[in-house]
Parts: sequence; structure tokens; C-alpha cells
Amino acid sequence: MLTVANLSKQFGGQPVLRNVSLVLNQGEVLAVLGRSGGGKTTLLKILAGLEAPDAGTLHLRGQDLGPVPPNERQMVYLYQEPLLFPHLTVFENVAFGLRIRRVAQVEITAQVTALLDELDLREQAQKAPYQLSGGQRQRVSFGRALIIRPRLLLLDEPFGNLDAQTRADMQQLFLRVSRQHQITSLFVTHDSREALTVGTRFAYLDEGQLTSFASVAAFVEDARTAIGSELAFWESVQQKRNMII
Amino acid sequence: MPGTVATLSPARLLLWLYGLLVVGLPVAGLAYALLGSVGLAGPLAAGFTGRYWRALGADTGLLYAALYSAWVAVASVGISTGLALLLVLWAQPTLRRPPLPALLYVPLLMPSLVVAFYLFQLLSRAGWLSRLSFRFGLTANLEDFPELVQDGPGVGIILAQVLLSFPFLTLLFQAIYQESRLAEYYQLTLTLGASAAQFRRRVAVPVLLRQAAPTLLLSFIATLGAYDIPLLLGRPYPQMLSVYIATRLQRFDLRELPSAYLAGFLVAAGLLGLIGLLRLTGRARDTASVP
Repeated sequence: MLTVANLSKQFGGQPVLRNVSLVLNQGEVLAVLGRSGGGKTTLLKILAGLEAPDAGTLHLRGQDLGPVPPNERQMVYLYQEPLLFPHLTVFENVAFGLRIRRVAQVEITAQVTALLDELDLREQAQKAPYQLSGGQRQRVSFGRALIIRPRLLLLDEPFGNLDAQTRADMQQLFLRVSRQHQITSLFVTHDSREALTVGTRFAYLDEGQLTSFASVAAFVEDARTAIGSELAFWESVQQKRNMII
Repeated sequence: MPGTVATLSPARLLLWLYGLLVVGLPVAGLAYALLGSVGLAGPLAAGFTGRYWRALGADTGLLYAALYSAWVAVASVGISTGLALLLVLWAQPTLRRPPLPALLYVPLLMPSLVVAFYLFQLLSRAGWLSRLSFRFGLTANLEDFPELVQDGPGVGIILAQVLLSFPFLTLLFQAIYQESRLAEYYQLTLTLGASAAQFRRRVAVPVLLRQAAPTLLLSFIATLGAYDIPLLLGRPYPQMLSVYIATRLQRFDLRELPSAYLAGFLVAAGLLGLIGLLRLTGRARDTASVP
């Protein structure tokens, strides 16, 4: 469905992406793990049309995305912060994508209400963003993206600012909703546990080079993901605990 | 109590003195104006009378001055806001690189009287533009050049106010644009399917205006009470409020003083009432939106 071939990008002579290629099928969630400054955000922005690549091609369902402007790609880019519109209520934040498409009011009310129910935000519909908790804000941001039925969802460490429990809840919510709506996503994170939780396919991006993995096992075994060393750490903790008991 | 004074720290004492200066004196002035308007204060005070208040109904001067001032303030703040929004929303790259940011500070350094004098020299019928147009044959005599200062609609006053306030509002909007991360909102709204115009109309303008609303109100009040610019660039009739009141206060006939006090009191009370009303409206809106 999404085919990226030999994507490259430089900033001030410094390569940020080097010949990045990937294929993503309908309903898949590609979890891209990587450290800060590895080119993750640049990759997402190029896919969204917010940055132009120096070389390479992008095709979505056979359509060359090169000449398509960002507002016609139907690919929503979600930031780490929810970036809710501060002057609009929760309902109007979610309805934004429909309002700009001049959808009829009856249809807007029906669609937004259904989505707010699904995201457990019905009670918050008339609240302002500043009255919400961090998790609720992220859910509103998620709903604002989902309402336009995006062809591809681009998530840039969306739960990075949440506490551990809320983050885990949001990961489960993301899983449930993306399976239910068959959403295709590219989920960037620096947290290997989050990558394993949300991903159906896995990749590692560092210094502009993307490595795709054929299986979860290959992803876990790759030393760069540091999942093996983390597993070893928890196993050693478990052994110490057993010895004490 | 002497004991209380003795325990006041120097900082607290300074705070009290400052409070007295910024609140006490204006309130005292307002009270004196009110007393003057009912014949209880002033050089010719002869006991309580309501005749100056009753005479207000027959005197249209104050009403015209208020309406004229409101027109000048609305036009000046409106044009300045429009220009500042245009620059911030359509010329971001230009605003971020020299020399425009530095140039925007220049009018802020000039006293308003200097700006008024400069515009008088430039735009009056005997001014530079009029002379140039005569020299190039665009006008045959002085009367052919349009009245741009000391004119009826207040074009000169409005122009001077705009020249002074639009750079300030541009810098304010630019600071809000950056603090509110509107550049990121722009990218987000693009991916949600919005055009640049929809982003400006539905997101940027409401965010900028909401955050700048208190400053815009203060600009409106400052323009409403402006003195030196309308003194130089305005006509004897209609006059802006401050010039109207000052003219009446400075008349040789001391019997005119109570009606000048009355005008001053009404203008100050009206402005305070306006600020209070807006604060109450804002507070009610905030309370209504709290869960």
C-alpha cells in the first residue's frame, strides 16, 4: 500500500536520511524504534508532505505522492504534544477536519458524538482543552485525526509526555482503535517496549538508515534495539529476587 | 497606630506609597471632579447643585466628542490590528529576518508629538506632499490637495495612531505566534486537510486575537484618551475627548469649570465601567466553562 524507495534528505550538508526504503500494507502498524536525532521526525514529515526529500519516491496505493500537497494526502501527522486548538471545545477540536470539508452539521454531530463515545470522551465534549488531563488531551488529538479517516497515520512519539500508567492505557486504546478501524500507521518511538506493544511490523532507524525486520524475533535479537540487554537486566533482577526468597 | 507604622518594612511602605500613587490619586481626582460637577469643590463652589448635570442634556459637545473619539479609536485599533495580522500571517519569513524586526522598533522610539508633527509637515495642504504634487502638476492650487490633516473624519489622527500602534501590535502578535507554536499548528492543520487560508481563519486569527484582547482593549482606551496627536492634527470641531475636556478646563471663565469636571468624570467613569464590564464578562465565561 505505502511504498517508500531510496528516500534521502540532507540539512546543511548533513545527511539525515540515507536511502530509506519500506513497504507498509493496509492495517499494519510499523513501529520505528530509534534514538533522538536519528531522522525519525524527518521521515514522518517527508511522508506527510511537510518536508521535501532530496531523492527517492513515495507511492500510496499506486499514487505518486511527490506532487500531492500535504492537505490533500489524507495522512495525519500527530506530534508528541496533542496540540489541541485552545479556542475550541473538545467537540469542535474533533470536528475540525469535518468542518473544513464543509460536511453537513447533522453528519458532523453524528460522527463526532460516536467517536467521542468510542474514545470515552462524551462527558468532556463541551470542555476546553485546558480542563483536560494529559491522557484525555491525547485521546482528543487521536479523535481529531481519526475523524477524517486517514489513509496513513504518522505518530511521532505521541505518548512520550504521559506518565507510565496513562501511557500504557493509551497504547491499549491505540491498539483497539487501529484494529477496529483498520488504520495503517507509522509509529515512531524511542521506547522498545512501546514499539513491541503497538507494532505489527518493526524497524530501527539510526543515523538516517532504516533497518526493517522480518519478524519480532529478529527485532528483539538485533543488538541495536537493546531489547536483549533489557531482557537480561530483568532476568538478573528476577534471579536476585528468587535468591532472596 | 504608631506601632503599625513602626512594623512596616521599607518594601511594604514603598508598596503602599506606590498603591497610593497609582490608585489613590486617580480616585481622589475622580472624586474631586465629581464634587466639582455638583458645585461642592473648585474655585467657585457655592454649595450643592444639579444644574451642570441637568445642562448635560442640552449640551451635545460632550456626546459628539465621545462619538468622534470612539470612531478614531475603533478605526485606529482596527486598521493597526488588520495590518499587524497581515504581516504576521502572510509575511513570516520577512518578519524573521533583518531588517524588518529592527525597523518595527523605530516608531516605538518616537514620541507621539514628533510623529504628529512629522505627519503635519508631510500631509498638510502646505506640506511636502502637497508641494510635490503641485510641482509635478498633479494639483493646480492648495485647495486641490485633499485634506489629510485637521480634517473632518480624522484621517491625520488615525494615520498617526496607526503609525505608532501597528508596529507594537505586530511585535506582540509575532511573540504570541511563536509562544503559541502556531507554526506547528499550521503543519498539523495542513495534514488534517486544511488550506493555508483555513488555518489563518479558523486557528491563527482566533488564537492571536484572544490572547491579545487585553492589550487591544488598552490600545483602544489609550487612543480614546490621546491628547497630543489630536491637538496637532485635529480640528477645533469635532474634538476628541481629551482635547475637548482640556479646552474647557483651560477657559478663562471659571464658571465653565464644573461642566469640564463633569465631562472628565463621565469619561473616566465610562472607561472604568467598560473595563469592569469586560472583566466581568470574561470571568463569567471562564466560570461557565469550568466543569
